[in-house]
Amino acid sequence: MIRLESITKVFPGQEKPAVDHLSMDIPEGEIIILVGPSGCGKSTTMRLINRLIEPTEGRIVLQGEDVTGVNSDELRRRMGYVIQQIGLFPHQTIADNIATVPRMLGWDKKRTAERVDELLATVGMDPGIYRERYPKELSGGQRQRVGVARAMAADPPILLMDEPFGAIDPITRDRLQNEFLRLQADIKKTIVFVTHDIDEAIKMGDRIAILQEGSRIAQYDTPARILTNPANEFVEQFIGHGASLKGLTLAHVSEVELADWPVAQGELDRRALRDLLVRSDKSAVLVLDEGRRPVKWLTLRDLDSRGSLDEVGLSADRSVVEPNATLHDALDLMITSYTGTVIVTEGDGSYKGVIELDAIRHRVDEIRRAAVERMRKEPGAAPADELVR
Amino acid sequence: MSKFVSYLERRWDHLLELTLEHAQVVTIALLIATVISVTLGVLTYRRERAANILLAVVGTFLTIPSFALLALLIAPFGLGYKPTVIALVMYALLPIVRNTITGLRGVDPAVIESARGMGMNGRQRLLRIELPLAWPVILTGIRVAAVLLIGIAAIAAAVNGPGLGSDIFDGLARVGSPAAINLVLGGTLGVVALALIFDGLFLGLGKLTTSRGIRD
Repeated sequence: MIRLESITKVFPGQEKPAVDHLSMDIPEGEIIILVGPSGCGKSTTMRLINRLIEPTEGRIVLQGEDVTGVNSDELRRRMGYVIQQIGLFPHQTIADNIATVPRMLGWDKKRTAERVDELLATVGMDPGIYRERYPKELSGGQRQRVGVARAMAADPPILLMDEPFGAIDPITRDRLQNEFLRLQADIKKTIVFVTHDIDEAIKMGDRIAILQEGSRIAQYDTPARILTNPANEFVEQFIGHGASLKGLTLAHVSEVELADWPVAQGELDRRALRDLLVRSDKSAVLVLDEGRRPVKWLTLRDLDSRGSLDEVGLSADRSVVEPNATLHDALDLMITSYTGTVIVTEGDGSYKGVIELDAIRHRVDEIRRAAVERMRKEPGAAPADELVR
Repeated sequence: MSKFVSYLERRWDHLLELTLEHAQVVTIALLIATVISVTLGVLTYRRERAANILLAVVGTFLTIPSFALLALLIAPFGLGYKPTVIALVMYALLPIVRNTITGLRGVDPAVIESARGMGMNGRQRLLRIELPLAWPVILTGIRVAAVLLIGIAAIAAAVNGPGLGSDIFDGLARVGSPAAINLVLGGTLGVVALALIFDGLFLGLGKLTTSRGIRD
């Protein structure tokens, strides 16, 4: 655990402190997001933790040890550090870049080389191909992966990340975020993650600290509670419009009830399908292939048309999600899908069920009721009071 | 012209000897100047004022006419090798110091930030990151200095210094005699050839000592 005790930073020649008596606990094994408008001091706060910036006042306590006065270079070797521009060493190979901290710590060659290969594989890069390459030979996304691998090289318990995915195109960023979350589920590091993007904060964070000028904490809580119970007007404004929509990124498809829609497989019999559809109260029947994978929707109009059933119908492949998709993804697809529903499949692509808008609305209701319930049980208490002192 | 060719045929061993002497004194001066300049550059590149003063001082050296500087050095250092090397070192400082400072200042701040963030101390950053990254620029400074020194070293014959200058000065002293042209021409040819060779060697050295990751 990292504990910041009344930490303050006043830069020379400035009257207002950049960080003003900030106290917070950062629990072990979680991703803590520092988020706030530019100039609020969130980057400075992160750099105070590894003492790239020396605090003017206050204490930093790392797993019970006061590290405010220890050798700062040695302190930094115990924490991984990733920045937006990544800062790979251009004159060194990828392997040498990753081996930076292990070498400083005096690991032997064999152990270092094994660790490099292991990390490259972890971030999804073939060691045989990339070990001896130079940073300029990689794409932006690959450099970011190497940056993360380099930060984790000596297996530090703590990772500090300053807008690590900020300079990457949205599609690659989304993929890197998902990869990183999967990785974190295994490695369970304590991560301090700085961003100015509230959507990224909600997606990545176990807890979010929303910071105001001077790094004062406006709210420090789980994403769900920040969205349902913003502590004050500043937080509300910072979350912006559509907080409830953002909340849908916190709930997964697996949490909602699936509806039963008529399905058909194998030889298609027009009359039988028509009966099936009319007996259900749905608007279409879903055709599955031999692996029970969704193929297309057939509506009453398709069934009554004169053409062959192979040629009519509405393709289903653009409205399919897996159970680990978020409700946000599902709703997004739902709006553009032909039937106003999304199809949920198992990991192997086989049909599992259908989500209707009502199911999502029901789930949102539940989330909201749970939040209200929690507020009633802790009267007067600010959310997550134990963390903000 | 045919007279000059037959002169070269007769005296090529003598010319070669002078050329080697010339190359030697320039190399020694370059090595000393590089050590001094890189040290001074490393000490000042983060201090704006100190760097400006340093550049002004070594810039002034370069404006002193070489004849005058060599003559001034006779009193404290006598004739021959010593004043030659000292004068050459003084002339080589500006290009190398300037390129060292430029090179070190040109290192991407994000690279330095990440090096600090991983716990590299100042010395490790300088030796493992900043100097290797600034090296191509520093080497260009040394290369410029080398060509400069090869020309100036010819003047060093005025203080009995080594090298091709002695033939050139001999020739100038005998203007009018048939040997004069040959002596001056031979010495000049040697200087030009040497400059080209040094330039080529530095290009090769640059390729050998620059990481593939920062070569264009």
